Amino acid sequence: MKSSPVSRFQAQVTPTLDEELNDLRERLGLRENQKADLLREIAALAAWVIRQAEAGRKIEARRGREVEILHSPAIERLNRRQEESIGARIALSDTEVERLAEIFDRGFALTPALRSVLSNLADPQRKPPRLTWKKTAA
Amino acid sequence: MPFRIEVLGRRHRALLDDFRNQHSSLENYLRRFALRHAEKDLLARTFLAIEGSAGTESLAGYFSLTAASIERSSVGAIESLQRLPGFPIPAVLLARLAVDQRLQGQGLGRYLFEEALGLTLQLARVGPVAFRLFVTDAIDNGAKEFYERFGLIRLGDEFPCRMVLDLQPLLK
Repeated sequence: MKSSPVSRFQAQVTPTLDEELNDLRERLGLRENQKADLLREIAALAAWVIRQAEAGRKIEARRGREVEILHSPAIERLNRRQEESIGARIALSDTEVERLAEIFDRGFALTPALRSVLSNLADPQRKPPRLTWKKTAA
Repeated sequence: MPFRIEVLGRRHRALLDDFRNQHSSLENYLRRFALRHAEKDLLARTFLAIEGSAGTESLAGYFSLTAASIERSSVGAIESLQRLPGFPIPAVLLARLAVDQRLQGQGLGRYLFEEALGLTLQLARVGPVAFRLFVTDAIDNGAKEFYERFGLIRLGDEFPCRMVLDLQPLLK
């Protein structure tokens, strides 16, 4: 007979992990027969944290001036992968989508610097700046 | 000293190690990933600002461009979405732009930005596909202010913060 994912999971966990999960279950107000609910809750929380990290956000807990940063090897791995990636698929959060909608709504006014960029690009005599290497402190 | 823009290739490998920038991620990308992304993985193309002639060349700065697609991370109902083009939105991503710290403050960053935007506009005007946005990620407040001068608008509040320029009015 094929075992359910939950029972397979139960067979694999070490007693320490089982103890930690039981502790979490109690703290989340779930009964002993609600281990599947516990896993769903944990998966939902983890998915949120991972989504924030994937969007390049720092994950920290704040209370007044107290700040506790989340240290996790999984998040560090993810950050390293983000650093290496080139980001061809960009997922915007709801707030970012709102701002993008505002940009499209508001229309566009050329800034003086952008106007100058466009005029330089149209100039066939455009020249790069002359550069001087600065000495760095030994 | 004048410099020229070249597309990164294997022959530039010897120049990459001497590049210095206050953000180690911008040094690391150039040394470890830029060539692989350009030649093997075909993920991005990197353009170098090179100074000097054969034998005495130095790398002054670089930028990397890639095609990107803007999507939504969630599918919750948002009223403003009705006013947006249907997702995903095609974009060109200015994935990296960096100037050697020994050359900063002399207009090279601006020149590289001009090059990157110029290539993007050329591609959007005559290329086989359309692009609506020019996107970049500002690594810090200095970068954010630099891009804001050119009309890019930030979408996020935290660094690296995503910034966009709507190309549509520039292509009319």
